[in-house]
Amino acid sequence: MSATLMVDALDVPTRAALRRLVITLADSKRLMGIRYSDWLLGAPTIETGIAASSMAQDEWGHARLLYAMLKDFGEDPVAVEHERPDEDYASVDPLDAQFPDWAAVVAGMVVVDGALSVALEGFAGGRFEPARTRVPKMLAEEEFHRSLAVAWYRRLSQASEEARSLLRAATQSMLPPLLTWLGAADEAAERMVAEGVTRPGAELVAAFRTAVGPLLSEAQVDVDAFEPAGEWDPRRGRGPGHPDGEALERARGDRNRMLFVE
Amino acid sequence: MREFVYEVFARKDRGEPLTHIGYVDALDDETARVYAWKTYDEQNWFEMCVVRRSAIVPVNRTDGPFAANRRGTP
Repeated sequence: MSATLMVDALDVPTRAALRRLVITLADSKRLMGIRYSDWLLGAPTIETGIAASSMAQDEWGHARLLYAMLKDFGEDPVAVEHERPDEDYASVDPLDAQFPDWAAVVAGMVVVDGALSVALEGFAGGRFEPARTRVPKMLAEEEFHRSLAVAWYRRLSQASEEARSLLRAATQSMLPPLLTWLGAADEAAERMVAEGVTRPGAELVAAFRTAVGPLLSEAQVDVDAFEPAGEWDPRRGRGPGHPDGEALERARGDRNRMLFVE
Repeated sequence: MREFVYEVFARKDRGEPLTHIGYVDALDDETARVYAWKTYDEQNWFEMCVVRRSAIVPVNRTDGPFAANRRGTP
């Protein structure tokens, strides 16, 4: 099964499953950018704030490219980006609230951005042509996010017990919902695997554990000790909640709606 | 946490000389790479490098930012 997948040729449930995958990746990138932007002025140094700003721009660019894939479904990406209610957002659960401290930002860089990259690698290797052509550039940009994440995670792991404790707690709280999301094996996820759009959830989880395990161990976090946990909303492919209202106002651009000219 | 000054050099095209474009404060080489790439991103650089200021050996000046290296200051 190597031929390019044509959206118009898909049956209704498979088409819905592919749309769900695109939306959850796009929304996660959009919210990841929001969470980086929360720290533009609160990062430990000017250079780190500039890096957070740049990473926020990267994430929003990635989100824009992913939303644009909805054109293949005959949908207007602008409407999806700017007009959906809170309850329709499908970003990964750990991005629902602002990271409370810099240690949580660093944990998010490693495990949330890391899980997104693993999911995108699976998507890029599949039969959906827009993913095959657009996602590799995103992953190349993510290499710099990964470098910063590793350096900071390692540094905090070697810092004070307080820093290590905050880092560990943040990491531990993020892992179960991310493993649930990455390892999804519900009907929609299985359809994506059957169609060759992405890899099985179990393989993605294994790749994620391999990618982050050695680094997390430096903060005494054993990634293999964590299992998927939490409730599951099969409509959106994430847990039952949604991002906080303030973040979604920013994501949609609600406050400047009257100025929207696109 | 201790930080170091890294000087940033870049060139726009393969044949151009490396030019000093600025500096960043960073924890280590890895963060210096990221900070430099993310801070000095106004050009589509062909190549960018960073070098820790303390690794630069002054040749003919006894003043300026690199002179301290000759006195053993990091």
